[in-house]
Amino acid sequence: MENRYNSPNQAPTKLLAIHIDPQILVDLPTLSIDPDVFCCVLPSEAQFNLLKKNSRLWAQFPDGEFCDFPYYIKNIISLLQSFKSYSQTLVYPVDTFQSFIKSTQAIEKKIFSNVSMTPGENVKDLWDEIIKKVNIISTESHTLKGLVEKILEVPFLKNFQTSLIILHLKGQTKAELMGTMWRNEHVHSLVGVKDFNMFFNSIRKSKIKSFSTESFPKVNLPFNGNFLSKEVTSKKYSLIAIVSRHDFLNYSNEEIELFETCIDLLQPHFERLIDQEFSDKNISELRICLKDFPLPLRIRDGQSGSSFMNDLYRNELQDQDIFFNKKIKGAFSLDLYDSDELRHYAFDLFHFQRISLLGELLNTLRHELSNPLFGLKLGSQIFTTIEVPADDKDIMREIEKNVDRCQSIIENFSNLYQIQPGNEPVFLNKMINESLVLAKSEIREISKKISYAVGTENIQLNVPLIFVVQVFFNLIVNAAQAMRSQSERGELTIQVSINESNVHIDISDNGLGIQDDKIVNLFKPFFTTKSQGTGLGLVLSRNLALKMGGNLEYIPNQYKKGACFRVILPIT
Amino acid sequence: MKHILIIEDEILIQQSLKKLFERKGLKVDVSASGKIAIDLILAHNYDRIICDLMLQDISGFDVIEESKQRYTLEQIGQKFVIMTAYNSPQVLSRANSYQCKLLNKPFDNLDEALRIMTE
Repeated sequence: MENRYNSPNQAPTKLLAIHIDPQILVDLPTLSIDPDVFCCVLPSEAQFNLLKKNSRLWAQFPDGEFCDFPYYIKNIISLLQSFKSYSQTLVYPVDTFQSFIKSTQAIEKKIFSNVSMTPGENVKDLWDEIIKKVNIISTESHTLKGLVEKILEVPFLKNFQTSLIILHLKGQTKAELMGTMWRNEHVHSLVGVKDFNMFFNSIRKSKIKSFSTESFPKVNLPFNGNFLSKEVTSKKYSLIAIVSRHDFLNYSNEEIELFETCIDLLQPHFERLIDQEFSDKNISELRICLKDFPLPLRIRDGQSGSSFMNDLYRNELQDQDIFFNKKIKGAFSLDLYDSDELRHYAFDLFHFQRISLLGELLNTLRHELSNPLFGLKLGSQIFTTIEVPADDKDIMREIEKNVDRCQSIIENFSNLYQIQPGNEPVFLNKMINESLVLAKSEIREISKKISYAVGTENIQLNVPLIFVVQVFFNLIVNAAQAMRSQSERGELTIQVSINESNVHIDISDNGLGIQDDKIVNLFKPFFTTKSQGTGLGLVLSRNLALKMGGNLEYIPNQYKKGACFRVILPIT
Repeated sequence: MKHILIIEDEILIQQSLKKLFERKGLKVDVSASGKIAIDLILAHNYDRIICDLMLQDISGFDVIEESKQRYTLEQIGQKFVIMTAYNSPQVLSRANSYQCKLLNKPFDNLDEALRIMTE
């Protein structure tokens, strides 16, 4: 024994018999128990036991004495390390070793000597805090991404800006990078498997675990600077955890160790969440497909309780923010969250559906009307070529003209969303008169007042006649219908005025007017107060006006009761 | 050109065309039904057959097919004038296969249409 003591280079022949709690063995990295120093035996034969009791690490000696430490992997490793170093230098015979080992103060000193803290800071407290925080964040997080983001809440990572992981599931062609930057910006991207493997191996082989983004241009990390990194591997996946302060200062040994321990502690939680979220290959595919979907979205699996969220999903989103929920298939259901974007898209979508339906209807209508209109035209043409009184001939010509107009209206309507008609200047007063003629039957017994402001009597506009007439016609008919049921004599007023580069045509009636609560819905498709209305007249009219570079507005009727609509058309 | 058959189920079109042709001194038969038209075609020797495609019972193409009992493909190309409001590519290519004239409804120019139908 003395011999050995004097020749430290020679390995001790006697192995230290230890027993390690199976619960601890699960958490321990393999190879941390050096087989040259230790032999694992049953508790009864052991010189000392390492046990896990109530989240504390207990060291038990054959005489029954205990000492305990906070339970974390770093402590177990340090403890084993200290046994090992003492066994090589001092601890023979066995009882000497045991007496030494009992000096818990010495062990503690040894354990924490690697973690040089600023003076006065309670080392044990920091570790406890870290362990506590790691426990909290791992129970709070229901998604892998959430957990990665919360890593920055661990006390020693206070000054870090970025926490990322790159996850590669075995067999997939892409690895997923996810996490947070600047503590509030979500990042999610894909990394090719080749680049991932290269990165992973560099990290695995490196002893210092502190790197610079410059060394890995291919991985395209979303920040610049030095970072800490630790690789984790299991049967199903490989994972690289990354944290960075976004600067080019080197990380201290303490930081490196703390980070490694942290990731060690989190490994079982990574495993659990990966199992939960990524076990199904289809869901993994789905994640990749939907990650760029432009609305916050979540897909829940009612069976396992797991869910998938895309990039725009934010943790603050609550169930009451769900705008749209739909059962998709099996236990899966889709939630879309209320947002400006969603409202924008949804409106466009509904609008588009309605308009395409309208287009189809109009197309059918055009074909159906085309034959009878053609018949009418041919019939009236017969009379223009034979000897009939001149008056009758005029009527026939009018019939022919009106047939053409009907044909033209229906064609324009069905082409509303395709055609770009060539504009020729048309007199505004001619268009107003034509509209009044068209609406003749509707405005019988209604007095008409048309007034032109100076300079508008002979104004010409570069707009398609058929559009303008259609808008005027709709508004005139609406006005006439609004006045129909009243005892008072109906009064249709059309006022033309100029406002800068636009001409305003105000069409008003003296009917009952529009109730305040209905005004917001006026220009919404299929909104109508008429029993036989389609709810499309004003929508189409406004669309036509917009197409011509103008607009259609409801304006308060200043002079009398009743409604007033203003058609705005450009003068150029 | 003496004897014309008009196959058209829109009565106003049918009667108007009849009147216009009669004014040119032609003898005109009319039918709104494709099946009756086939009987007429097989029973008479028309100089010109003006045929709408969308009939109530069968299509104008069916009428042409049945006419093969009496006429060669070449004769069909000369005798038939097809009228249609649906000039889809399918309709156009099928009409072309018979080598006959095709008129779109409504006619852009009545005189021009009448000239094509009677020449």
